[in-house]
Amino acid sequence: MASRSAFSRLVPAITRAQSARSVGARLARGYASQSGHTMTVREALNAAMEEEMLRDENVFILGEEVARYNGAYKVTKGLLDKFGEKRVVDTPITEMGFAGLAIGSAFAGLRPICEFMTFNFAMQAIDQIVNSAAKTHYMSGGVLPCPIVFRGPNGAAAGVAAQHSQCYAAWYGSIPGLKVVSPWSSEDCKGLLKAAIRDPNPVVFLENELLYGVTFPMSEEAMSDNFLLPIGKAKVEREGTDVTIVAHSKMVTHSLEAADELAKEGIKAEVINLRSIRPLDIETINKSIKKTNRLVTAEGGFPAFGVGSEICAQVIETEGFDYLDAPVERVTGADVPTPYAVNLENLTFPDTNSVIKAAKRALYRTN
Amino acid sequence: MFRPARIPRLSQALVSRVSRVSHARGVAGTTPQLPQHALGSLPTSTSPITSKLHFFNSVMSGEKKIPTYRVIDGAGQPIEGAEVPEIDKALALKMYEHMVLLPIMDETLYNLQRQGRISFYITSFGEEAAVIGSGAALAPDDEVLAQYRESGALLFRGFTLDDIMNQCFGTYLDSSGKGKQMPAHYGSKKLHWHTISSPLATQIPQAAGVGYAIKRDPNRRGKNCAVVYFGEGAASEGDFHAGLALASTIPTPTLFIARNNGFAISTPSTEQFYGDGIASRGPGYGVHTIRVDGNDVLAVFAAVKEARRRCIDEGRAVLVETMTYRVGHHSTSDDSFAYRPRKEVEDRKRLDNPIVRFRLFLESRGWWSKEEETALVKRLRDEVNAAYKRAEKLPKPPVEEMFSEVYGGEMPWNLKEQREELKGLIKKYGQTWEPWKSELKKHKGEGKEFLE
Repeated sequence: MASRSAFSRLVPAITRAQSARSVGARLARGYASQSGHTMTVREALNAAMEEEMLRDENVFILGEEVARYNGAYKVTKGLLDKFGEKRVVDTPITEMGFAGLAIGSAFAGLRPICEFMTFNFAMQAIDQIVNSAAKTHYMSGGVLPCPIVFRGPNGAAAGVAAQHSQCYAAWYGSIPGLKVVSPWSSEDCKGLLKAAIRDPNPVVFLENELLYGVTFPMSEEAMSDNFLLPIGKAKVEREGTDVTIVAHSKMVTHSLEAADELAKEGIKAEVINLRSIRPLDIETINKSIKKTNRLVTAEGGFPAFGVGSEICAQVIETEGFDYLDAPVERVTGADVPTPYAVNLENLTFPDTNSVIKAAKRALYRTN
Repeated sequence: MFRPARIPRLSQALVSRVSRVSHARGVAGTTPQLPQHALGSLPTSTSPITSKLHFFNSVMSGEKKIPTYRVIDGAGQPIEGAEVPEIDKALALKMYEHMVLLPIMDETLYNLQRQGRISFYITSFGEEAAVIGSGAALAPDDEVLAQYRESGALLFRGFTLDDIMNQCFGTYLDSSGKGKQMPAHYGSKKLHWHTISSPLATQIPQAAGVGYAIKRDPNRRGKNCAVVYFGEGAASEGDFHAGLALASTIPTPTLFIARNNGFAISTPSTEQFYGDGIASRGPGYGVHTIRVDGNDVLAVFAAVKEARRRCIDEGRAVLVETMTYRVGHHSTSDDSFAYRPRKEVEDRKRLDNPIVRFRLFLESRGWWSKEEETALVKRLRDEVNAAYKRAEKLPKPPVEEMFSEVYGGEMPWNLKEQREELKGLIKKYGQTWEPWKSELKKHKGEGKEFLE
C-alpha cells in the first residue's frame, strides 16, 4: 500500500529541492506583508542557537566541523567568532565519542547541543542516545537529568543514495525518555529549537537538508528572542473540511501544494504540520478527523513501523476511528534502500502528486 | 564513510568542495613550527626523517613489554628499590577493612542471587586491591563513572551496606534509582558516583564530558577530575578509543582506570588483544600512561594518586592499567569453570591474594593482628547479613514510581494516559481481586495513591 503511493506517480516531478524552494518563496511572498520578516531555515536555526547561548552560559555546541568550518551545512555559521572555542567545539570524527562526551557534560550540569553532520552518521552513536541519554534520568531515579539536543539533517537528501537518505523519526520516536521534533518552517525551527535547548530532557531535533536554504515568512512574534513553540503540539497549517493530511518536515511542503491543487477541484484539505513526533499530538489529528472524516498521512520515511503507522494505530484505538468514512492511507517512501540514479531516486520518495492521489482516494474520487 | 562536504549534489550550493586534506584537524590556520632538519620535514608532523627501514611493534624501546609498577611482594615486603607511599595507619586500616568487606558482601549477594532472591549480581573477587587502592587515591568529590565491578570504591566513599542491599533488592529505600536499575548498578549524587550503565564502555566518552564540565567550572577546575573505570574487554569497544581520543584532543582532566582482570566473561585477554595490553594504547592518544600490579594495593594507591595529580595539574587525560585476575565468575549468569580450570583459579587465590598481601604488610608494621582479623570478619559478616535481611523485608517502590522520571518537567500526555489506565484497573480490581490485592501489598503505600 505504501509502495503504491510511491510508485503511483505518473509524471516525474520537478526535483524535490526545487519544489521545496518554490513553496517557501511563494509563502514568503504570500505572507510577507504581515510583518515583512523572512528567514531561511538555516538562519532560523542559527538564530535560535545564538539567542539561547546568549541567554544561558551552560549552552554549548559540539560536533564535527561546527566551529572553524561553520558546520558542514553552515548552520553554526559565525558562532565560533561570537562565543569562542570553549562553547563551539570541533571534535574528532567519532559520533559515539562526541555524543558520549555531550551526554556526560549534560549529566554534569551543562546544556550541550550535539550536531550530527547527518542523522545517518548518528547511527554510530545510537547506543549513547537511546541507552544513556534517554534512560539515565529514569534509571537514576531522577538524579541524573540529561538536558541535551541532538540535531542535524535527517531524511532524504539528493543524490547521496541509501546510507545518506533515511528518516529516523520512527526510530527515535519509539523510545521513552526521548522527545523527538521534526520541524518544517523557519518559525518551527526557531521556536522548537529554542524550546528543545531549554527542555530538561534529551531532544532529538530532526532537520531537513533540503529545507535549509528555503525562505519562510517570520511573524513579529517569531522574531523575538523569547519565541518558544511547545514540544508535543502540532500546527494546523491550512484549514479544510474534506480530508485531513498529516505530514512532518518536508512533506508539509508537498501537502500544502497538494491542498492548493485539490482546492482547484473544490476539495478543501486540512493540512496538519506534526512538528513533534514524540509526544505525538493525536488530539489535534482526531479533532481534524471529526471534521473531515478522512485521513492521509505523508512522510519521507519507510512505510513499515513508521510515523504514519503509529498515527493509524492511535487513531483506530481512539475516538477518531468512529469518525472515519474511508480507510486511512499512508503516503511514504518506498520500502527499498534509497537508490542513487536520479530516475530511481525520484520514484522512491513521495511528492505532491502522491499526496493528491491519496487524498482523492480517501474521498473515493477517481484519479 | 561519506561526509557531505564531499557530496557533489547538494541542493543548496552552500558547501564549496573542500577536501579533508586541506582542512586537516589541528593544523588548519596555523603552520606548525618544525625543527630545522637536514633532511627536511613533513607538512603536518614533527616526525624526524630517517633513512632506516625500521618497523616497530612496541611503545617501549628495544621491543620490550611495558613494565608493571609494584611496591610490595607477596609477603607484604617492599621490593628492591620500591618506595612505600605515604600512608597512615588509619587510612591503611580503612582500606584493608573495605578489602575484607568486599568479598564478604559479594559472597552473600552472590548466594542470594543463586537462591533466586535477587535477579543478578556481579562480584569483585580478586580485584579488591585494584578497586579499593584506586578508590582510596581519589578525592571524595572526584566524579566517578564506574563500569560495574567497582562497588568497593563506592563503599570506600561511604555508600552503606543498606544502600547496597536496597538497590539489589529494589526496595522503596533504594537511594540509587528508586528500584529502576538492575542490581549492582549503583549511583549516588552525594558521593559523586554516576549511575552505572550496562552497555559496556558508554561511560568512557561520557567521562570525557564530565571532565569537560569540570574544566569549565572555576570552582572545580584544578581541584577535581573525572574518573572512569572499565575492564580490558570493554576497552575493545569503540567507545574506549573515542573516549581517549576526545579526552586528549579536547583536553580534560579525565582519569582512565583499566582493570585488566584477564577475562571478559570467558574470553581471555589474549584473545581480546594481540598487542601489549591496554597501556600500549595510551601513548597512541598522547596520554600519560602507567601499568601497575593490580594485586598490590599500595602500588595501585601510589600510581593512581600520582596519575590524579598529573591529570588535574595538566588538565589532561591519564591512563592507568591495573593488572589483576578475576578469581570469581563474570557474573551470576556465568560459570567460569566451563572455560578455565578450577585449579588455575585456586592457585591464583592462594599464590597471589591481594588481601593477604596487604595483611602481611600491615602485620609487618605492627598495625594488625590475628585477633583483630577474626573480630573484623565476624563483625562484617554480621553487618552484611543484617543489612540484607532488613532490605529483603522492605516493601518495593510505590506503583507511581513506574511513571515518574521518564521525563523531567511536565509529564507528557502519553504517560498520563498510561497512568490513568493503570489507576482505573487498580480501582476496579485492587481491593477485590485476590491476585491484585496481594500483589499491591508488596508496593510501598499498597497502591493507595491510585485508589483515591
